Parts: sequence; structure tokens; C-alpha cells
Amino acid sequence: MIKLKGISKFYKPNIYALKDINLDIAPGEFISIVGQSGTGKTTLIRLVIAEEKPTEGQIVIGGWDITGIQTREIPFLRRQIGVVFQDFKLLKKKTVFENVAFALESCGTPKNKIINIIPQVLKIVGLEEKIDRYPTQLSGGEQQRVVIARSLVHKPRLLVADEPTGNLDSINTKEIIDLLKRINELGTTVVLVTHNREVVNNLRKRVITLDNGQIIGDQSKGRYLL
Amino acid sequence: MLFLEISRVIKFAVQSFFRNIWLSVVTVFIIVLSLVSISILLTSNILTQHVLSVLEEKTEVYIDLTKEATTEQAQVLVSELNKLPAIKEALFITPEQTLENFKKRHQDDPLIIESLDSLEENPFTGSIKIKTHDISDFPVILNELSKKDYSRFLEIEDKEFTDAKLLITKITEYSKKIQNAWTIISSIFVIISILVVYNTIQINIYTQREEIGIMKLVGASNSFVRSPFLIVGMVYSLIAVVILVIISYPLLVVLQPYVDSFFQEYSLNLVEAFAENFIKVIGTELLIATIITVSSSYLATRKYLHV
Ligand SMILES: Nc1ncnc2c1ncn2[C@@H]1O[C@H](COP(=O)(O)OP(=O)(O)OP(=O)(O)O)[C@@H](O)[C@H]1O
Ligand SMILES: [Mg+2]
Repeated sequence: MIKLKGISKFYKPNIYALKDINLDIAPGEFISIVGQSGTGKTTLIRLVIAEEKPTEGQIVIGGWDITGIQTREIPFLRRQIGVVFQDFKLLKKKTVFENVAFALESCGTPKNKIINIIPQVLKIVGLEEKIDRYPTQLSGGEQQRVVIARSLVHKPRLLVADEPTGNLDSINTKEIIDLLKRINELGTTVVLVTHNREVVNNLRKRVITLDNGQIIGDQSKGRYLL
Repeated sequence: MLFLEISRVIKFAVQSFFRNIWLSVVTVFIIVLSLVSISILLTSNILTQHVLSVLEEKTEVYIDLTKEATTEQAQVLVSELNKLPAIKEALFITPEQTLENFKKRHQDDPLIIESLDSLEENPFTGSIKIKTHDISDFPVILNELSKKDYSRFLEIEDKEFTDAKLLITKITEYSKKIQNAWTIISSIFVIISILVVYNTIQINIYTQREEIGIMKLVGASNSFVRSPFLIVGMVYSLIAVVILVIISYPLLVVLQPYVDSFFQEYSLNLVEAFAENFIKVIGTELLIATIITVSSSYLATRKYLHV
């Protein structure tokens, strides 16, 4: 699903956020990326969704070499990847329904299709009941579930989540992780960036450990190393 | 599908417009100022053209015939002249008509009339009145005439023509000066407008940054992200032109007496002229306004949207 070959990312004036990363993520995998702050986890995600371009190396996503991707091609890549960030990025003045609908509207989806898709994705995240609430009327965990629902509208084969539980307590964290596991079981490849030791240890899935921009660990039923 | 996208883009644009309503008002205002300034330039241009054409239309040269020319010879000459393509009209004026005209012109001057009446003979010779299509043809024609063998019947003097020519040159120079000044003023307004629209669009982008971030994250096409801001720009110009049309009528009515007193018999009915050239004027203004707004929104979106 994701192939990184000799990836480096240099930031001016003198930081190598990533150095010679080689990584192969198979379709259907659930992989966690861990590491201390400033070791390049977010940079890796940004390269995968083409928000940044690598200084060196090659990136292939689902067979598509996006190393030299054109600006006008980026939207097509983004429609194949679900993205979830720590800060929720929900629109405060829109309801749950409208927030999810906004993503589809922006991509030119016709109205009848939107009305079809939204209950499906809200069912996956368990929020069918709260479709007309505003974000301020939802808990942090629920808000993050709306973001996940929104990331699912294009039925992506790949979901990347950068510290989706960063702002949540342990109960909400467990719910979100369980949700990601369920999405993974439905066939979507999941890349999870996290700081949470407990999460990683309970998952018992593949763990990549980054340090100083380099991979220092890659275990198939991994535990949090650092 | 396309219609769907367009309607959504317009919805987003309208939202942008109203979210920063006061900024939109100021932006439209400055565009209106630019358009008013450009309108003044256009109006002064139209007025000058009008005055010059009236003046050219009125300009005619009388060539006096010498004593030895008979009426028959004069008529042959007139028909010859009428054949020349540069001449619009050549007319034979008999000595009697010339006398009549002269008396009419000086009817308030009893001394002249009296002394004319005391003469036994008509002191005037006949003359030929010439109008041309283009006033600049006069020197050529007069020069031609003085070479021909019938030149002995003509007393060629180009004083009248010189007077008219002088007046036209003066008006042209004067209006050029005014127009140069207004061109500079208008350019300043246009530049300010471009800067203001650019900044307004930048602020619009800033207030919509969350929406834009989400749109890009979920894979909205670049044109979908960008178009609303280009449309907001066009909406500004459209509203500005509508306001211009609304204020034009009272503005022209207020201006009319000044124009009348300045141009006197050469004056022009501004409201009528505006109505006659409505499509042309509005088209020009809309074109200029759209160039101002779309070019600056284009630049602003290129800089701040990274699309
Ligand atoms: N746009 C940028 N310009 C310059 N340096 C950057 C930029 N983005 C990230 N960096 C640097 O690259 C390094 C890696 O950053 P990155 O955000 O990938 O870390 P991270 O592993 O996600 O950290 P955290 O766990 O705190 O989120 C850091 O040293 C950071 O300062
Ligand atoms: Mg990070």
C-alpha cells in the first residue's frame, strides 16, 4: 500500500526531519508509528498525503508513484486517503451532518449520494443518533469520531491518523482505537501515529519506532520501545 | 454535475462576501471611485470629440471670385469643384447674396448699413463656399486650386481656415492636458483598487482558512477551492457597476450646467449621450472593473491558497 524508498526530508536551514527511510506497508495492515517529539512522524504523514515533497527518495502509494506529483493531481490522491489529525478540524457552525456533507460537497458529490453515504459512515463511528448536533454539543471523543467519519466518505483504502487520541482521556482513547481497528478489519490499511504507550502495547500490531528521523525499530507484534 | 459544482462555488462565494460584509462594502466603494474617475475621463473624451466634430462640421471657407469672373464661369467652376472627392460641398454665392448676408450680419450697425446704401454699386464679388470632409484637407485643396488655370478667377486666402484650425488645435491641446491629468488620477485609483481587492481577498481566504484546509484535505479540486474567491471578485465589480449606473444619472444632471456654460453652443446633452451609449459605456466599465478584481483575486489566491 505504501512504499518508501530512501526517503529524506530536509528543512531549511539545517534539519533533516527524515533520513533514508525505507518502509513497506502491505494492504490491510494496521501499523503504528511511535517516537519522541520532533523525530519526524508528522513529516512522514505529510509526505504520504503529498502535503510535502521528499528531498530524496521515492514514494509509491497503492501503485502510484507520487514522488513528483503535480499540484493538480493531489486532489485525486487525497480522495483515496482518509486523514485524521489531533486537532479536530470540524467546522463549529455546522452540524455533524453538515460537517461530513461539506467534505463530499467540496468534491462534487451529488446530493442524493451524499444523503446515502452519511448515515453509512456515521453508523460505522456510532453517531447516527447525533447527526444534527453541533461540535460544541459533542464530547472530544465524539468529535474525533465525526472527523473519522468524514475521512471515510470516499471509502479510502488507506487511513492515516496523526495522534488522533492526543487530546482524549483513556476511555475515549480506547473507543477511538477500537474504531480504527474495526475500520481496519473492514479492509482499510491504517497508519496510526501515537505517543500513547498503552495503546501500542494493547494493539499487538506492527510498530515502527522513529528516532531522530531514522527507523530504529520495526516489530511485527511490537511494544512501545522508548 | 458541472451545474452542481458551480452552485456550490457560488454559495461559498456568497458566504465569503457576507462574512466580511464591511470589508466588501469598502472594497466596492473604492472600485466605484475608480469607475467614476474613469467615467470622467471617458466623458471628457466624448465631449472633446463632440466639440471637434461640430467645429469641423461648421468650418467652411469662402473663396472670393475676382471681378472678371462671370456667373457662368463661376458655375462651371463650382461643378468642377464638386467633382473633387475631398470636397463635401461647393456652393456659388452671388454678389447679391453676399451683400444680403453682410447686411444681415451687421444689421445692428446703422453706420455700415448707411454707407453701404450710399454706394451705387454692389462692392462685393461673388464667392464660392467650400466644405470638406476633413478639415485637414483644406490646405491641400487650396494649394491645388491656386495651381489650376482658373486660379485667375479666385482670390485665394486661407485666413478663415487658419482661424478654425487654430481653435481646433487649441481645444485638442487643452483637452489632452485635462485627459493626461485624469489618466494619472484614474491610474492611481485603479492601482489602489487592485491593492484593496488583493487585501480583501487575502482576508477572505484567512477567514475561510478552516474550510479551505478541510477542502484540500478531503480532495476538493484546486479550481473548486479557488473559484469562490474569483467569483467574489467578480461580484464586487458587478455591484460597483450597478452603483455607478445608479449614481450616473443624478451626477450627469448636476454636471450638465457646468458643461453647458463651458462649451456653450457646442455643448452636449450628457444624459442623452449616456443613454445612447449605454451598452458601450457599461461594457467598458464592467470590463475595467472585472480586470481590476479578477487579476487581483487571481494573484491573491495564487499566493495564499497554494493551488
Ligand atoms: N515546515 C517545517 N520547517 C522547518 N522545520 C520543520 C518543519 N516541519 C517540521 N520541522 C522540523 O522537522 C522535525 C520533525 O518534525 P515532525 O513534526 O515530523 O515531528 P513529530 O515526530 O511529528 O513530533 P511530535 O511528536 O511533537 O508531533 C522537527 O525538528 C521539526 O522542528
Ligand atoms: Mg507530530
